[in-house]
Amino acid sequence: MSLDVLAAGILAGGLYALIGLGISLVFGVLGLMNLAHGELVIGGAYLASLLVVDAGWDPLAALPLAMAAMALIAYPLQRYLLTPLLRGSKSAPLVATFGLSLLAQALFQAAFGTHPKALPASYADTGLSVLGMRVQTVYVIAFGLTIVLCAATHLVLTRTRAGSAVRAASADPDTAAVLGIDVNRVYAMTFAGAAALAAAGGVLTGVAQSFTPNSGLPLLLTGFAVMALAGIGSVGGVLMAGVALGVLQSVSVGLFGGGWRDVVVYLAFFLVLAVRPQGLFRKAHAG
Amino acid sequence: MTLTPTLRRWWPAAALLLATTVCFALGGVLDNGTLDLGVTLLCYLAIAQAWNILAGFGGLVSLGSAAFVATGGYAAALLLVHTGLSWPLAVAAAPVAAMLLALLLSAALLRLRGDYFSIGTLAIAIALQALIRNWDWAGGASGVTLPVDAVPSGGNLYQIAVLVAALAMALTLYARHSAFGLRLAAIRDNEPAAAGLGVAVRRHQLAALLPAGAITGLAGAVIAFQFVVISPDSVASVSWSLNAVLMAVVGGMGTVLGPLLGVAVVYYGLTRELQSQQTLSLVIEGILLIAIVRFAPQGVWPLLCRATRRLLGPRPGSGRPAADSGKETETAPPGTEPLAVDLA
Repeated sequence: MSLDVLAAGILAGGLYALIGLGISLVFGVLGLMNLAHGELVIGGAYLASLLVVDAGWDPLAALPLAMAAMALIAYPLQRYLLTPLLRGSKSAPLVATFGLSLLAQALFQAAFGTHPKALPASYADTGLSVLGMRVQTVYVIAFGLTIVLCAATHLVLTRTRAGSAVRAASADPDTAAVLGIDVNRVYAMTFAGAAALAAAGGVLTGVAQSFTPNSGLPLLLTGFAVMALAGIGSVGGVLMAGVALGVLQSVSVGLFGGGWRDVVVYLAFFLVLAVRPQGLFRKAHAG
Repeated sequence: MTLTPTLRRWWPAAALLLATTVCFALGGVLDNGTLDLGVTLLCYLAIAQAWNILAGFGGLVSLGSAAFVATGGYAAALLLVHTGLSWPLAVAAAPVAAMLLALLLSAALLRLRGDYFSIGTLAIAIALQALIRNWDWAGGASGVTLPVDAVPSGGNLYQIAVLVAALAMALTLYARHSAFGLRLAAIRDNEPAAAGLGVAVRRHQLAALLPAGAITGLAGAVIAFQFVVISPDSVASVSWSLNAVLMAVVGGMGTVLGPLLGVAVVYYGLTRELQSQQTLSLVIEGILLIAIVRFAPQGVWPLLCRATRRLLGPRPGSGRPAADSGKETETAPPGTEPLAVDLA
């Protein structure tokens, strides 16, 4: 076991944190388990591929556009489909997002085909030396961007009026509504924000590895694993949980071989659920 | 015709017995293509009904049916391939293996509330698929081929499928009409209140999880016999979970006959019509699932029942006395949906 493996794990963990952050945000504020989050991630990668593969853009230039586009798609989805369902039966929103996830997979298949795609970039395969450790350049970029996006999310939630509205709606939607906060709009904005974070994760994932219409599900479960480890409500916790998961995965691949990378994550996820479901999942205020 | 209390109580069971006998007898008459179709539909019915017991009656919305299909299918297949046991023993091993999995996982799963239970079951289904892929003794990613002469096929396989589906229907009837089922529904509707009234929550949920797992595992064994070649991508595919949810939700979760209708609607309306167009089929399935939870969260069966009642029942303002067929409405307490409740 060399330090390179450890470094690769830490850096890959940044991507997991980015995916987990969106899931955690949506669950913390809306109380919604979004089973279509993996498709939001892959959707971001496919949207970017339109610019990168077909028009020759750099993936990092396409990234803000993909984020904005996913947010625009996500906003009405939450406002007019999912928010009304949140007041219905307990399982309805979950089943609806399951349906959305299938629908999105089918649309990806129809629009882009089933063969694996990747976002070509000059830094996709090159290596870099950091403190004497060899790592892939793309993961360094992804890690840096994750830190920036996590910090931005934290600042928006804690330092802005919109962030206060989100935290108020999360803590007590009824009281927030009485105080003049448009809770439905806050929900839709939060979902759009989570979708934008997902799209960013998708573009970076697409540069680091190839993706297919069905790649969303493993990413979704990785995101849930991050949330399970971190608990709800702390951006820093999400970042640490992502890194922990990345290291665990990287080390287990080093020990058992590549086929086990996902198995280990799912088993870790399940063990965390089994050992401390209440403690890790206690709903706190977002931010 | 007014039903006596005894008759009212036992006619669903009698109807099930009759239907099972007729379907079983058909096994000697039908041609091979129809028998194969029958096996497929009956397996879907068993899996959807098992999901319905767990989610519709128990409130435990599972996304992990695939894990139990895979466990049952692989248990039967591996026993046949590696030990050379006869097929009845292999079939018997499938529900045992599935129940063991359920028992093993219940310690963790039943601590999870609401959506966490769903995510946990989804994680198990995916983890199991990944595990089988890496497990050389079970054939890895390429799967196992069952010895063709050692497994039942045609009429025999169909008759096994009939029995499995009948067992699933019988358990659903039990969940619908027994005191156990009432306590289960009480937990589903308000867990703290049920616990406060002395219902042992965990024990009842486990009592729903184990048979649901066993039936899904049994169906998995039948599916393995039907496929002959099984792989992680076929029997452990998430589409089994999806179809269970889709069929039960479309038909009407928490009802006895809803999943039956759901299997017919989803299979004949979608899966078969769109067999050549997988993508379109997936699009429509996704839209259907969203549309149902958005506009008819109870499912199609309760809607049908209400429509029938409105057609048959007395029309407001018509001044005529209720027709003979309206009798059933009168026996039900006010404020409920009598036909839906009686038949469901």
